[in-house]
Amino acid sequence: MAEVRPDEISAILRKQLSGFESEADIYDVGTVLQVGDGIARVYGLSQVMMSELVEFPNDVFGMVLNLDEDSVGCVLFGESRLIKEGDTVKRTKRVASMPVGEEMLGRVITPLGVPIDGKGGITTNKFLPIERKALGVIQRAPVKEPLQTGIAAIDSMIPIGRGQRELIIGDRQTGKTAVAIDAIINQKYTHTEEAKTLGIDPVFCIYVAVGQKGSTVAQVVAKLEENGAMDYTTVISATAAEPAPLQFIAPYSGATLGEFFRDNGKHALVVYDDLSKQAVAYRELSLLLRRPPGREAYPGDVFYLHSRLLERASKLSEDLGGGSLTALPIIETQQGDVSAYIPTNVISITDGQIYLESSLFNSGVRPAINVGISVSRVGGNAQIKAMKKVAGSLKLDLAQYRALEAFAKFGSDLDTHTQKTLAKGARLVELLKQGQYVPIQVEKQVVAIYLGTNGYLDNIDIADVKRYEKEVLEFIEMKYKQVFDVIKKEKQLSDASIELIKKAADEFAVVFK
Amino acid sequence: MSQYKVSIRYSSALFETAIYKKLFEVISEDVKFILKVFHSSKQLVSVMDSPVIKGQLKLSIIDEIFKDKINIETLYFLRFVIKKGRENYFINIFEKYLDLMDEHLGIVNVDVKTAFKFDDNQSKVLTENLGQKLNKQIRLNYSIDETIIGGFIAKIGDTVHDASVKHQLELLKKKFLEGGATLN
Repeated sequence: MAEVRPDEISAILRKQLSGFESEADIYDVGTVLQVGDGIARVYGLSQVMMSELVEFPNDVFGMVLNLDEDSVGCVLFGESRLIKEGDTVKRTKRVASMPVGEEMLGRVITPLGVPIDGKGGITTNKFLPIERKALGVIQRAPVKEPLQTGIAAIDSMIPIGRGQRELIIGDRQTGKTAVAIDAIINQKYTHTEEAKTLGIDPVFCIYVAVGQKGSTVAQVVAKLEENGAMDYTTVISATAAEPAPLQFIAPYSGATLGEFFRDNGKHALVVYDDLSKQAVAYRELSLLLRRPPGREAYPGDVFYLHSRLLERASKLSEDLGGGSLTALPIIETQQGDVSAYIPTNVISITDGQIYLESSLFNSGVRPAINVGISVSRVGGNAQIKAMKKVAGSLKLDLAQYRALEAFAKFGSDLDTHTQKTLAKGARLVELLKQGQYVPIQVEKQVVAIYLGTNGYLDNIDIADVKRYEKEVLEFIEMKYKQVFDVIKKEKQLSDASIELIKKAADEFAVVFK
Repeated sequence: MSQYKVSIRYSSALFETAIYKKLFEVISEDVKFILKVFHSSKQLVSVMDSPVIKGQLKLSIIDEIFKDKINIETLYFLRFVIKKGRENYFINIFEKYLDLMDEHLGIVNVDVKTAFKFDDNQSKVLTENLGQKLNKQIRLNYSIDETIIGGFIAKIGDTVHDASVKHQLELLKKKFLEGGATLN
């Protein structure tokens, strides 16, 4: 039997404890005056910084949010019942920060960087403050690379570029999260060898769940795992059960993690799901901190709350590595009212918005994107040339269709030209329908839209459009694979490719039934 | 909240007047005297706090108690405070004044907590060391707390110099838990 000598043990103990200092420790303290509802008012702490982490007894941490003349207002990240009046509060001398690093990928963490997925601790060697100032003008570059969402309606008409902030807005149950999740899943392609040879940089994803049900978050994680998207994704979760301060800082932690990738010359996509709940959490703590309420009882700086968050999304200049942080904030509207306080604020901050409508959703148009009022203000520059070419006529056709849609019920009483426009529009709408978790590669989108806008669908039954699309793409994949390869490589739709597509479509028309 | 703001305004007014009129020592003595009077008579405090008693009556009470015992400037100040209806803040105002006075004289109040009573020699060494470190005069306020086991805890303003055995043990515990422990 192996033996351990007592002097060996003491040697080990001595070695382990050798770094332990026994000098007087100097720290700053304050006293809790009042505690309750997740807020503590502290007397003392005279040197404390704004948004500094402070340590309460029982390992509860708090963050300073109010600096008053004679007291300090802190929000608590733990349970307030563990803290009593008169307790001592210690400064930590660091502003609220979180660990960042590639080790975070594939994990589910709290806004403070603590893993909650039961896969063990995360060791990173870098800490970054949760609240950081957004970059200035000099450090930025215009958005020019595309961020493919894999959703044809978005990639063609509301294109998103890397470094853009595109709002996803809509009522409950319209598929807002689904759009964001699809975008994350579609980034899987950017991590393949093929993408590498084509010069497409990988996009790392962060999904921030604010104020959602724990079960919803678990479902999202499961879906991401199922689709192999968790390998390059971090989920930051502050569920409805967490205290309001955690829900309030969650999007900022997401931005911090995204900035880590961006600042290292990589690309990141962060989804804030959703910011209306964050605003509600912030309203809660503002009111508890006795800040004066304003419109809809939100505090005066609720605009700044979102603007400083979304301003952190950016495309870096080449000198700084050319990384990017794309933000997809989500806002839930009530009964389609986009003129409420928070929706108008966020609409004005972002570079465009994707409107999802329940009426479209219920009539079977999924994703339920209203392309008429959805816009992307900067994404156009980021679209590949091939897509730009076909998307122009798609937009026009759909706009004409919408203008005439009201007359559709007159049916055969209409002149042939109108009937034609209506038929084409209906087929294009059908073409843009897409299932959940089935992103389409951009080259396939280009070919499908080309066929749609050039009348190849006109003789096909509306019910058969999706089948036709699927089969014709398979047909081209099999027989004329070079079409896709050329679009992928050159990002152009050359005349030669067009000829090939036409030829393939004609050939396919004969066999399709 | 307002208590702090009000008392700091009045006390700094009195303090600045004292410096300006070169009556610092006299007024400081007066303030100490007035505080002693207030602390010795609970009735006087309740009279001043009472909103029922009219200001005029309070004025004559103050006059009768303090006239000829304190400097005329201090008396004017007392009258002024009553006229402004802030007489319920008297104690706060004068306590704040003492803080300002200490700051002016370069005296620092240090709360020292020890596990057992320090003898004269020990406290002398502590005072000297702290004085050297802070470059100020030190006024020690002792208290005894056996739970700190050994050593001492000196609190200067909001800064704590913790050399207690209890704190060392806590640090040691934290070190042992390192890696396993997380925020919250």
